[in-house]
Amino acid sequence: MRHHLLVAVTAACLSASAGVSAHHSFAAVFDSEQPITVTGKVTSVEWTNPHFHFSLDVPAADGAVTSWRFEGYPPNMLVRQGWRRDVTLTPGATVTVTGWLARSEPNLGAARNVTFADGSKLAAGPPAGTGGR
Amino acid sequence: MSTITRRRACGLLGLLAAGTLGASALLAQPAAGERAAPRTAAGKPDLSGIWIATGALLLMEGEEALATARAADAAAGRPPGNSGEAPPYRPEAETQRQGFLARRGIDDPMSRCLLTGVPRIKFRPLPFEIVQLPERVIMLYEIHHAFRFIPTDGRPHPEDMEPSYLGDSVGRWEGDTLVVDVTGFNDKTWLAGVGTIHTEQLRVTERYTRDSFDTIRYEATMEDPAVLTRPWTIRETFRLRPAERIREYECIESNEDLLRIERLLQEQAGEKTR
Repeated sequence: MRHHLLVAVTAACLSASAGVSAHHSFAAVFDSEQPITVTGKVTSVEWTNPHFHFSLDVPAADGAVTSWRFEGYPPNMLVRQGWRRDVTLTPGATVTVTGWLARSEPNLGAARNVTFADGSKLAAGPPAGTGGR
Repeated sequence: MSTITRRRACGLLGLLAAGTLGASALLAQPAAGERAAPRTAAGKPDLSGIWIATGALLLMEGEEALATARAADAAAGRPPGNSGEAPPYRPEAETQRQGFLARRGIDDPMSRCLLTGVPRIKFRPLPFEIVQLPERVIMLYEIHHAFRFIPTDGRPHPEDMEPSYLGDSVGRWEGDTLVVDVTGFNDKTWLAGVGTIHTEQLRVTERYTRDSFDTIRYEATMEDPAVLTRPWTIRETFRLRPAERIREYECIESNEDLLRIERLLQEQAGEKTR
């Protein structure tokens, strides 16, 4: 697949023990065994509940562009992590997202952290877990 | 025995059981270096404030905040929150729970934006506010914008209870501990974790002890003889967060995962019937 060059699927199994998601079982939709790191240009940001979503255009070496979609915390949690709507993440910005791949859709991910062009990093979604308590 | 009479009898047993359990926590003392809990004019500890479960700090405030809180609890002799103890389910119920776990929690009622029951609602990674008044305690949860009115004036559960997600709560003071008897549940929520099913026979006894200015020790004992072999008790420490406020929570606006989960469920149902 084209985006293999830009999507580093690391071998490390990130913590799957947290077991606390905002409102649904992480494992129902996402695969904690498939951590991803994706760098691309923001094309849209949806500041919605119970998750926010954003999309990235991710170019491959041959110039082809793949659109990725991520989900993360709802606004009430994002604000607590230091996010501001229309300020923190805006179309056109280049960011690196770490998270986990969806089980049933190829270019969908759960965002855990977003690293911005200036090197700063904010939590964007919960750690992988099983729904826990 | 009529349903109401049975409920009253069960309630009495619950009160007696809770009274025995509570004897050790009649007087809450702060650990060395901790401030004492504030008290109301009537002399009871004042539980009022905005609180977060310790386990929720990982999401709310990060790993460092969680580690600091855990260290403080260890130093103060508070029991750790999640002991990892398996719930004492009867074999048939345990088989069902394992089935839900194997399905990775896609059946979680919470993912459908249904109200989260007691005690699971206490552990969500969002704050809740306790407002303590002389004759009732009000709990306002950010998640689902849920609320509980807990009378503490000695009244019993109402006689016209219908099964509900959060059940019906009545409270009383045992020394410095607020003991809340919760019953009248439906069977549509999970207790604490994926697949922790229960029936309408569920009765929960919650114990809130503000043992220092910044902490409430919480204990919930779940009794449901239809699925549990014995009462199941879990514990947590709630931490005061005066700088927090209860923010808006909306669950259905853009719940794309609900569509994904429904699709997975339909696929699984299709596989079964083939």
